[in-house]
Amino acid sequence: MHAREAAARLPDGPESGSTAPAATSPAVPTIAVKGLTKTYRSKREGHVLALDDIDFTVQEGEFVCIVGPSGCGKSTLLKILAGIVPHSVGTVTVRGRPPSDAANRLGLVFQAPVLLPWRTVLQNTMLPAQVLGLDAKAAEARARDLLKMVGLEQFAGSYPGELSGGMQQRCSITRALLHDPSILLMDEPFGALDAMTRDTMNLELQRIWRESGKTIFLITHSIPEAVFLADRVLVMSPRPGRIVEEIKVDLPRPRDLDTMSEPAFAELVRHIRGLFGIGAKDRPHVD
Amino acid sequence: MSIDAPSRTEVDTERPRFSLARLVNRHLGLITFAILMVALEYGLRWFQVPDYVFPQPSQIFMALVRGFAPPFLSPSQYYVNIFTTLVEALSSFVLGSLLGILAGALVVEFKGVRRLILPYVIGLQSVPKVALAPLFVVWFGFGIESKILLGVLLTFFPLLINTAAGFASVEKDRVELMASLKASRWTTFRLVKFPGALPYVFAGLEMAAVYSILGAVVGEFVGGNSGLGVLILSRNASLDIAGSLAALVLLAFMGIALQRTVAFARARILFWAPVHETLDGD
Repeated sequence: MHAREAAARLPDGPESGSTAPAATSPAVPTIAVKGLTKTYRSKREGHVLALDDIDFTVQEGEFVCIVGPSGCGKSTLLKILAGIVPHSVGTVTVRGRPPSDAANRLGLVFQAPVLLPWRTVLQNTMLPAQVLGLDAKAAEARARDLLKMVGLEQFAGSYPGELSGGMQQRCSITRALLHDPSILLMDEPFGALDAMTRDTMNLELQRIWRESGKTIFLITHSIPEAVFLADRVLVMSPRPGRIVEEIKVDLPRPRDLDTMSEPAFAELVRHIRGLFGIGAKDRPHVD
Repeated sequence: MSIDAPSRTEVDTERPRFSLARLVNRHLGLITFAILMVALEYGLRWFQVPDYVFPQPSQIFMALVRGFAPPFLSPSQYYVNIFTTLVEALSSFVLGSLLGILAGALVVEFKGVRRLILPYVIGLQSVPKVALAPLFVVWFGFGIESKILLGVLLTFFPLLINTAAGFASVEKDRVELMASLKASRWTTFRLVKFPGALPYVFAGLEMAAVYSILGAVVGEFVGGNSGLGVLILSRNASLDIAGSLAALVLLAFMGIALQRTVAFARARILFWAPVHETLDGD
C-alpha cells in the first residue's frame, strides 16, 4: 500500500481504520458491487433504467475514477455507495456491510461545496464531529490541522460567502476528512473550478491521498483528470449506465503536471476518448 | 492669500463643506412630511373644515400631548390603553408565531400530519379571520384573551406557510450530506433544515408583526373595555376626531416599533443570508 506510514503525518482521527477489520484482509474489497441495477420512476418517462448490471470492486487504499457522459447515472451510483439512495437489484457492500449501515460514515464531496453559510469555515469543517458526537476539542485541533493542510488556516473564522469557489471547495474537502473516514466519495469535486485551480486541486488531492492512504472513489467527466488521478479508470456508457471498460493506469507516482504531456498519458486519454466515439478519425473509416 | 491656504483646500476635499442639497437629500422624507403637515394645517384652516370632520395636525398633536400627561392630570389614560394593546399584540405575536413555526415544521416533516391538518389549514385560510372576532368575544369574553386568540389566528397562518416553504426550499445536497454521515432526522433538522428555513420564517414574522396588532384592534372594536381600539371607538362616539387620529398615530408607531424589532433580529441572526429587496431605502 502507498505511504501507509505517511498516514501518521495526518493527525489520527477519532474513527481511524480500526473500525474496519474486514478491510485489512485482502480477500474482502473495500467496495464490492455485483449485478447492481437501479431503476426509478419518472413522471414523464415511467420506469427508467439508470444503472444496468454494474460489477466492480475497489481495494483498500485504491484511487478509482469513473468517467462517463452526463446523465449516465454516475452520481446515482455514488449516492448508492454513500447509502443515500437505495438500489434496486444486486449487492453492494462497503467494508462488508450494506452502504446504509451506520458504521459506514464516509467522506462525501459534491460538485458544489455545500457549505452551511451560517457557519464559519472552522464550524463547517467540524460539522461531522457534531453529527457523530465526537470530542469537540480534539475535533477542533484536527480541523485546524486540516485547514492548514489545504492552506485555509487564516480563514478559519471566515464565512463561506467571503471565500472564492476554490477555497470553498477546499473547505468541503476538509469537512469530508474530519472524521477520518477510510473512504472518500467525490462527485465531480472540481467540475466547477477554472482550469488552473483545477490542476492545483488535482495535485493537492493526490498528495492528500498519498499522505492519508484513503480509498478514493471519484467521479469526473474529464478524461485527463481521471487518468491523472486514478489507479484504475472505470468507463461508463450513456444511460442506462454500464461499465464499458476498466483501465489500469500504471503511470508512476507521484504524478505532476508534466505527466500529462507524456506519451503514455496521451495514449490512455486517447484510448478512453475512443470508447466514447470522440476523435473517430483516428480509427479506420467504415462506410 | 494666507500661507495655510493649500492645506485648507486639502481638508476641504476630504470633508466637503456644508451643502444644502446634501442635507435636503438625506432628510427628504422628514422634510416632505413637515411640508405636508404645514400645508394640511393651513389648508384645513383656509377651507374652514370643521374639527369633527378633520382636525388640524396641531390638534392631533395636542391630543397626543394631553394623552401622555400624567394619569392624575388627564382622564384619557393612554398608558393603560397602550399597555393593553401592546400586551395583546405581543402575546399573539409570540404565541401565534411559535405555533405557526411548529405546525409548519411538522407539516413538512411528517406526511401524516400534513394529511391530517392541511385540509383544515386551507379551509380556515379562505375564511376572513377577522369575521370570527364576534364569536371569539362570545367564547372568550371581553378581556384580553379573545383579542390574543384572534391575533394568534391571524399570525399563525403566515408563519405556517412561510416555515413550510422554508423547509421545502432547503438544498437537497445539504440533506444528502447529512445522510452520508448517517445523521439522525433530528440532527439534520437542527443543524441544516431549521437554520436554512430561517429566512422564510423571518419573512413570516414580519407579516405577523402587522397582523398581531390588527388582531388586537379588531378584537377591541368588537368588544373590549381597554386598549387603543376601545379608545378610538370612544373618541369617535364623542366626535373627538383629533383624539381618534392620535390613537391611530400611536398604533402606527407600535406597528413600526414591532416591525423594526423583527428587522433588527433578522439582521443579527441572518447576517449570512443574501439581503432581499426591501423598501427600506439605503
